[in-house]
Amino acid sequence: MNKQSKIIYTLFLITFFSSNLFAQSATKLEGEFKLIPAIILIILLVTFVLVGVFNRAKDTKTYWAAGRKISPVGAGMAIASNWMSAASFLGMAAIMYGSGYHGLSYVVGWTGGYVLLLILMAGQIRRYGKYTAADFIGDRYYSQGLRGFGAGLAIFISFSYCVGQFAGIGLMFKWILGIDYTYAVLIGASVVLAYTLISGMLGVTKNMQIQYVVIIVSFLIPLFILTYKFGYFSWLPQVGYGEIISDIVNGIAPGKGITAMGHDFAILPSPEFAMPWDPATGQTAFQWLAICFSLMIGTAGLPHVIQRFYVVPRAKDARWSVVWGLFFICILYWSAPVYSAFGKILSSNPEVGALAKDAIVVYTAQLGDLYPLIIGFLAAGAVSAAFSTVSGLLIAGASAFSHDLYFNVINPKATEQKQMLMARMGTILMAAGVAIIALMELGLIAQLVAVAFSLAGCTIFPLFLLGIWWSGSNRTGAWSGLIAGSSVAVVTLVYFVTGKFGITLPYHDFMNYYLNAWYFAWLGAPLAIIANIIGSKLSKDKTPIEIKMFLAEKVHNYKIK
Amino acid sequence: MTNHEQYEVNFFKPLSEHAKANTKLITRLAIIWAVAVFGFHFLLIYVSTPTPEQAFNDFNAVYPQVVEEESAPLEANQQFARTMLMVLGKNIAVKDDHKAVLKESLSWIVYKMNADSIKPMFLTAPSDESVLQAATSIGLASDGFDKIMKDLLPTSLIKVENSTLSPQSQKALPEIMELYLVHNQSFLTDFNFLGFPFHYWYTAQFLLILFVLLCLIYAVTIDKMNTQHDFVEET
Repeated sequence: MNKQSKIIYTLFLITFFSSNLFAQSATKLEGEFKLIPAIILIILLVTFVLVGVFNRAKDTKTYWAAGRKISPVGAGMAIASNWMSAASFLGMAAIMYGSGYHGLSYVVGWTGGYVLLLILMAGQIRRYGKYTAADFIGDRYYSQGLRGFGAGLAIFISFSYCVGQFAGIGLMFKWILGIDYTYAVLIGASVVLAYTLISGMLGVTKNMQIQYVVIIVSFLIPLFILTYKFGYFSWLPQVGYGEIISDIVNGIAPGKGITAMGHDFAILPSPEFAMPWDPATGQTAFQWLAICFSLMIGTAGLPHVIQRFYVVPRAKDARWSVVWGLFFICILYWSAPVYSAFGKILSSNPEVGALAKDAIVVYTAQLGDLYPLIIGFLAAGAVSAAFSTVSGLLIAGASAFSHDLYFNVINPKATEQKQMLMARMGTILMAAGVAIIALMELGLIAQLVAVAFSLAGCTIFPLFLLGIWWSGSNRTGAWSGLIAGSSVAVVTLVYFVTGKFGITLPYHDFMNYYLNAWYFAWLGAPLAIIANIIGSKLSKDKTPIEIKMFLAEKVHNYKIK
Repeated sequence: MTNHEQYEVNFFKPLSEHAKANTKLITRLAIIWAVAVFGFHFLLIYVSTPTPEQAFNDFNAVYPQVVEEESAPLEANQQFARTMLMVLGKNIAVKDDHKAVLKESLSWIVYKMNADSIKPMFLTAPSDESVLQAATSIGLASDGFDKIMKDLLPTSLIKVENSTLSPQSQKALPEIMELYLVHNQSFLTDFNFLGFPFHYWYTAQFLLILFVLLCLIYAVTIDKMNTQHDFVEET
């Protein structure tokens, strides 16, 4: 048994025994300090830090190239862990719980984008060989200005992605500590910041694999128990819950079991849960399609996702890591609707009260009267999902700030120490800013994260797509596309933010429907692509021959004689 | 051919046999992907028709009569009350202002159904006694869906303010009932597969399986293609 295995084994034993010592009732949904989840959470975080210490990267190069030693399956796990955040763990079930079939647009959008990413970009990005999205943009479009803009975008996208994660962390800390949401966000933000600063340069890839296992195991265990307990096919809950969906549509008469609050496991016919764009949900078919499309192209444009492909050994591995990554991601995505279905039934009695939708995964486990250890592990899994993503995003945002923006654009003479200081300051500033926005409770986790996807879809996706597949796309085109995409984003966000502060701008309803903050990329991305093409065609500026040669020979393997 | 043209990369104008095969593969997979996701959903939009739940038909059958006629038959009043509970049972799906109208309508019809001597108990906040009396008046049994409706009564009854249903609620009620009891359905939603309504299974499970398969097919094919065209991938 090696050192790592010993640590994990010991911590597991401590967790198990401590939770048995302090076994307590799970009947109170919230409002009290929950010891078991707190212990499990602390143990998990300590484990992650320790595993990181034992896999510490010696220098920046080793850190970046850490993944280059791992197999495609391992890289796939890292992709999945990096990807599965509070939005996947908590947010998807929440949106399906509240809006039924509409929520499936998030499930499809967040998985279908990987097909685009793979067939259009993964191998090519690996062959291009840059470390960050901003590096690619600056290099491919031979412009320091675009590099700076790209870095700014990467920071902004990481920032907005973090907002939803902090909301998730806040909700889970609120649930575990039994305190007010505001304090929970502040405490959660401090812990995640400390965690990121401590584990910043540690063995990230190894940790990601462990985090994947923790996330997926903690998410799946309650489903096997719930399906078994209420008499559904429990060997494979992802299939067994079909009957639950049909039961919700047709209604379930009492007699199948009792919830933790003493109500029948029963529900009156509720077809609005499963029927497409049901009027009761207030969502339309257009919104379903717009969200789905925006999330898909956003997936293929997210800097922290794209960057994963730089750290695999070969282009072939980049492709296979996507296949494995998507498979690992889908295990969770096939399962998330089960929580929303159980949540719908278990909370159908009005006496349960209005539950925070974003915590429905944990409430479902509580209402299903599961053993507190399992619920605690589930909540800790949710925090792990958010932490693994947030620390990656904070590091990506901070390195974009210190490396791409400060060192490459503002102060090229900066020493290594100065850059490090900038990175740390960037991390702290970003975490503080994100916490403040998260406190405003602007939307559900999944929706908040969707903003980041639309931003990426409008700006970075078109630059990568055209940059890789059309050497005619030049600097002028890139600027045109960026300006078009960013303009759509700015207009949308101005309407969104002013609306949240009670200011009604002209055509508010029209804009709120067609250019909503959750899905504006449906228009922004095609516009950016068209603007890029027109700008490239009309300008006299031509892509330098060296870049064309590099694209043709290195990226696309054309054998030019 | 100039140097520039020799190195021109364009997805639609592939320069080598390998690139042609690659373009063909990507195009095919992208078409399958697009048709599977968006084609299916356009079909779903096209075939869907607004389909009412039984409760909506029940409501429409009695609604004008119950509100307009003082002496509407007991069965009609009971049916009206049941439809209110059927919607209130949707709980989280129902907006708060709509719940208020439904609760007012339910409490009013229970009040209306009872004899003058019993009516006063509904003029105050609901008690165990008034809840029990309401269940008896509506004719709710202690099993099946009736039991769920019975359990809803303590949170659904409110203090009755007027002996008639307020004009605002009278006006709002038909729209509220339509909102929650009419759904977009079609053969795609009615057909059952692995226990799921077919469209739900297709979107929540099949599409994800398809995405993994498309990725797998791409990864396998491109590896073969590289070998066939004697391509050594970099670095």
